[in-house]
Amino acid sequence: MIRNKYILITFRLVVGGVFIWAGLLKIFDPLGFAQNIANYRIFPEGISFFLALVLPWIEVICGVFLILGIFRSASTLLLSGFLAVFLVLITVTIIRGIDIDCGCFGSLSRKVDYKLILEDSILLFFSLNIYFSRKAVRVKF
Amino acid sequence: MALKKLLKQVVLILFLSLIIGLGINFSLIKKYFQGDFQFGFISLEKYDSIAFITLGEAEGLFSEEEALFIDSRLKEAFQTGHILGAVNIPFEEYKEEEALDLIFLPPEGTVVVYCDGSECNSSLELAKVLHQKGLRNIKIFFGGWIEWTREGLPVSSENDPQ
Repeated sequence: MIRNKYILITFRLVVGGVFIWAGLLKIFDPLGFAQNIANYRIFPEGISFFLALVLPWIEVICGVFLILGIFRSASTLLLSGFLAVFLVLITVTIIRGIDIDCGCFGSLSRKVDYKLILEDSILLFFSLNIYFSRKAVRVKF
Repeated sequence: MALKKLLKQVVLILFLSLIIGLGINFSLIKKYFQGDFQFGFISLEKYDSIAFITLGEAEGLFSEEEALFIDSRLKEAFQTGHILGAVNIPFEEYKEEEALDLIFLPPEGTVVVYCDGSECNSSLELAKVLHQKGLRNIKIFFGGWIEWTREGLPVSSENDPQ
């Protein structure tokens, strides 16, 4: 586990920044994101629709909180949860052979592929590191 | 207890997101319950030239020879079989509106876009591109190839001239 203060701050900025950006893109196009969720063919349409309205806000709020240091454990935990779920979804989608855009970054999304798994895993590593290191070292700006 | 505090904060974040997300999108939620997004999540105000049609309506347009049928599936699927007279514009190859420059499309005429069936998405996505391209009478036949063949309607497996 990495405990260097500056590296941890960088992790926070990266994870928080990525989620703020990803969330904002979806907030501006809720219907597009609803279609993206529906394309995974996991949830019924109604659930896809309401997830599309609420999920981006969780991403943005957690991203902002993580960077500002508000409710840091809770926001890191939620973001790690998101990343873990995305990882499972991407893997399942590849295994099922569904050819779709990931929906990760609104209209800037790209195809679900193995590279996406790698990027997601790196972010998850950063995020878990922030969560667990917090208990060992108090990191403040 | 630390865990209790953590859970409280998680619930608070989720609650905050729920309130903001549902509050800001109240008009969309209203539309959803009015049945606006039964076929696909598309704003029919933004894409006002797009309409969803049933098998009966598609059949009507086909028999009156009033519409150009566009198959948005991949080339291989199209060659195996398609609605008689349809042209193939695979969405995968025509995601950008510039790519359509080489294809003649009737700006005033009616086009009917279809793909496999209600589970496919490419007809909807291609319809959006066609709308951006300036077509003003686009119908999406969501029942698609599956419904068409189930009814035993005219098909062709040859590669019709495009």
